[in-house]
Amino acid sequence: MKITDPPPAIAIDRVAWASQLCVGAQEVFAMMVGTKLFRCPDPQPMIVPEFTAMVGMAGAICGVFTIRCSEYAASAIAAKMLGISIEEASQEKWDAMGEVCNMVAGSFKSKLADGGQNCMLSVPTVITGADYKLRSLADEESIEVCLQFDDEPLWLSLELHK
Amino acid sequence: MQKEVVLMKPVKALIVDDSSVMRKIVERSLRQAGIELSGVVEAANGVEALAVLGRTKVDLILSDINMPVMDGLEFVRQLQGVKEAKNIPVVMITTEGSESNVMQALSLGAKGYIRKPFTPDQVKEYVLPVLEP
Repeated sequence: MKITDPPPAIAIDRVAWASQLCVGAQEVFAMMVGTKLFRCPDPQPMIVPEFTAMVGMAGAICGVFTIRCSEYAASAIAAKMLGISIEEASQEKWDAMGEVCNMVAGSFKSKLADGGQNCMLSVPTVITGADYKLRSLADEESIEVCLQFDDEPLWLSLELHK
Repeated sequence: MQKEVVLMKPVKALIVDDSSVMRKIVERSLRQAGIELSGVVEAANGVEALAVLGRTKVDLILSDINMPVMDGLEFVRQLQGVKEAKNIPVVMITTEGSESNVMQALSLGAKGYIRKPFTPDQVKEYVLPVLEP
């Protein structure tokens, strides 16, 4: 087995990365959901999220990227992606949220200084319900952004291993 | 300048993605791109895709890279060993920004790639040339 050196870590830039998360999410929602996202003007109180989609990152940056929202927002996102009613989309919301999370993570990754060459993404996971605690890594740093999808807040979060 | 391609016949497509939502979006995008489909078959990973190809003839394969069970790179690699299927054009659809993954897919035999997120116009731009007779 060939053992290679780990890729060099990329320095965390909270302001730039928060902006890149926003831009990445706006691109994904514009192209795949057909909706404009707006950054919440003021910090929004975190409601208990009903849907949490997450993608792991490993390599030059290590951590977990999550998108959290209400069940209604997850259904509405699935409905808009597929061009069907919210009722029809109820069985697709898990898959849709996982895919959106994956695309936003991929978009963010491609905007890193090294073009994402040294960062791998996991297959997405979606959790429903609010009775859980997420503890990804020790020594973590968190970048959080709130975006407005129609009248529903979406919280994007990057939990990073320093 | 974009090259105009005239398709002689509708194509049957195999869409490989672990996300059922994405499979539907890819199919819709193909239709919106003006690609006439005679049929669509789906698979959730490379293993399922190889099984589908054992019983169904298709003209085009669109495959995700990052999938459980068997990923898109391994699928393309194994496809080259299937005599009846190795000449079917494969277009990778991926969120992976990594050039190395894309280059690896191309070196294994994929004819092109589309990055997610994508528009129907981008699907047209990348898929039509590989269908050229």
